[in-house]
Amino acid sequence: MAEPASQAASAPQSPSLTATGLGLAYGGRAVFQDLALTLQGGEITCLLGPSGVGKSSLLRLIAGLGASGAVGQVSAGDGQPLVGRVAFMDQRDLLLPWLNVLGNVTLGQRLRGQPIDAERALAMLRAVGLAEVAGLWPAALSGGMRQRAALARTLMEDRPFVLMDEPFSQLDALTRTMVQDLAGRLLGGRTVLLVTHDPWEALKLGHTVLVLAGNPARLGPPLRPPGPPPRPPAEPGLLALYRVLLQRLGQAPAP
Amino acid sequence: MIAAARVAVIAGGLLLGWQALVGLLDLPHYILPSPTRVLRAGWERLPLLLGHAGVTLLEIVLGLLLGTLLGALAALAMVRRAVLRRWLLPVVVLSQAIPVFALAPILVLWLGYGLASKVAMAVLIIFFPVTASFYDGLRRTELGWLDLARTMTAGTRRQRWAELRHIRLPAALPALGSGLRIAAAVAPIGAVVGEWVGSSAGLGYLMLHANARLQIDLMFAALLLLGLIAVALYFAVDRMVRRLVPWQAEQALP
Amino acid sequence: MLRVLTLVAALLAGLPAGATDRLTLILDWFVNPDHATLLVAKEMGFFAAAGLDVELIAPADPNDPPKLVAAGKADLAISYQPQLHIQVDQGLPLKRIATLVSTPLNSLVVLRDGPIASLADLKGRRIGYSVGGFEEALLAALLAKAGLKSSDVTLVNVNFSLSPALLSGQVDAVIGAFRNFELNQLDIEKRPGRAFYVEEEGVPAYDELIVVANGARLADPRLRRFVDAMERGAQYLVNRPAESWTLFIKGRKELDDELNRRAFRDTLPRFAHSPAALDNRRYQRFAEFLKQQGLIRNVRPVADYAVELE
Repeated sequence: MAEPASQAASAPQSPSLTATGLGLAYGGRAVFQDLALTLQGGEITCLLGPSGVGKSSLLRLIAGLGASGAVGQVSAGDGQPLVGRVAFMDQRDLLLPWLNVLGNVTLGQRLRGQPIDAERALAMLRAVGLAEVAGLWPAALSGGMRQRAALARTLMEDRPFVLMDEPFSQLDALTRTMVQDLAGRLLGGRTVLLVTHDPWEALKLGHTVLVLAGNPARLGPPLRPPGPPPRPPAEPGLLALYRVLLQRLGQAPAP
Repeated sequence: MIAAARVAVIAGGLLLGWQALVGLLDLPHYILPSPTRVLRAGWERLPLLLGHAGVTLLEIVLGLLLGTLLGALAALAMVRRAVLRRWLLPVVVLSQAIPVFALAPILVLWLGYGLASKVAMAVLIIFFPVTASFYDGLRRTELGWLDLARTMTAGTRRQRWAELRHIRLPAALPALGSGLRIAAAVAPIGAVVGEWVGSSAGLGYLMLHANARLQIDLMFAALLLLGLIAVALYFAVDRMVRRLVPWQAEQALP
Repeated sequence: MLRVLTLVAALLAGLPAGATDRLTLILDWFVNPDHATLLVAKEMGFFAAAGLDVELIAPADPNDPPKLVAAGKADLAISYQPQLHIQVDQGLPLKRIATLVSTPLNSLVVLRDGPIASLADLKGRRIGYSVGGFEEALLAALLAKAGLKSSDVTLVNVNFSLSPALLSGQVDAVIGAFRNFELNQLDIEKRPGRAFYVEEEGVPAYDELIVVANGARLADPRLRRFVDAMERGAQYLVNRPAESWTLFIKGRKELDDELNRRAFRDTLPRFAHSPAALDNRRYQRFAEFLKQQGLIRNVRPVADYAVELE
């Protein structure tokens, strides 16, 4: 796979993002109330939490996708409106079956009626290692390849804010590792919120790790694992942090 | 080639069954003639049959084209405007519920005894299948795609239009295809009923005429030809639909 | 009370078969004034007196009745003499055993305020018809009388909607209109029509409505009894028209309307007074006419398809 490091380094630093007054109600019950979080500009923030805690709803709220029963105010650090500056990636690849891979990567331009920049799209595909399959239907690709194509599409959008909802959870362990590394490298310089339920993923990819847990759910103090992501699993200090995360998630007793 | 052989076997089987039925029940030739009598009559009057077949085929094809166009437009209109949905949907359902036999004489009186009334009948009969299936397809778009599209077009004015044109519409094409297949199968009925009610040409008209003259062989020959046209039309539309939805070929059944 | 009723029912059910014979007769169309003779005979008990339980059935498709009798699925059918010639030519084993209406009813009808004043005015016009099988033959004879050819007119199949087609102007004339019906229909709509009677314009006279039976079953004694009872009905009809109308609508309220009243009145003179009687020469003459028009291939001896029952 070709290195895209130069591309990441030349992208300007994205602004920070602040969300306040976040609340989610479901079936008359408050899932969480009056939460606040800040995403540091140009960094990956991993939001970790157990299933059902509402992290997807939180992400959708920030993305402007309107989760029902969710409230909150979101603003960008540079004072500009958030609208139109967010790229979204889901755990499903959401590739349109009637467009080939190249067509899917350029979906944003297609939808906005902008001229299609095929050159740049191919560069994105090359960055994720899919240049040879640019002309194939999505149905011809494996799960890992499809998610990589989705990643290329997300990068193609070239938006300062990238919101990802468990983007690698549907992949098998080996493919997941590979695509995590890829994403970690290519997303440099953007303000990313990555929702995950896997503590290792959070430790591997996040500049900051936030834990949303409890009933009603609360955001604990942010963790800052050492070293730049993507971190190799052998990085010292990660194991200790892993135990902390588990404890926060309510899986392990306090030390 | 296997497909052609299969068709030949089915046809042969049906003909044998027909012959058996006539033989076993000892049916007189003026109620159900044997396949040999019918095929002979068909061969002898081939120019007559083909002439009328051309008329009926034209009615069916025009009806299919116009009906598909109107049905697709109606479905799109209902998706775009809720108020249209509320007023148009009952009308669409009504078009299906009222038996065409009841409407045929009125249509013939309005549109005359020529091509127009038969085309109108065919349109009426296929309007509901086409509209309903396309409308369903447009409504049931994968939510994830719509979410993605929203983030991509947020803040632009063309959001709803882009969503319809680039996501909902292509996603609904398979559903439209299903509706078109049904339409191809039932459009001939509309054309023939129209001819029965008032016409001077066509296979339906020929069947009426032959029946009145007790030329039952000819009547069944016309019926057989109509059946062949309907089957051929169905397969033609099926192929066209598959070309319309090329990505679905990848998901063929094993 | 219930015991008495069950006893009576059992007695009636156990009556010997010969006391009342069942006979199925399929009409040519829905019950209408053309069937007055039969309805009077039934309502006055003439059939019952002859030991017959006649069931009158209205068909869904007017082409069915002769086929069903030919196939042995029904005893009798009302048909049309011209159609009988065609049916017999196609090999159906039918024979006419009685006449119901002994004059033609078929006519060419135009609107009185329309463009057609004489048959010659039909040139270049549209003529509506119901597919009965021999409209073209009738029309050819009528046109020939006016010096026209079939190609001088356009024939349009309007399938029984004769009056609406004429009234809406879709056609200029209609053939196959029964003079006792369509003319009254047009009158009621305040757009009176004018009729050209086919037998006056070059078509040999024929019986419009006849009773046909299966040619192989003519030895059946019920048939002569049926025809005799029919004759009693015809007599009653001609002697007591007002009472006959009452019998016609008895139990059939839906038939009591202005159109049927007028049609009943106009059909009265046309019912055969002697239903069994047969004029061989008349049938022969009509067969020759049909052969000449190309509607039948062979002219058979009349006895092959029409009889006077002994």
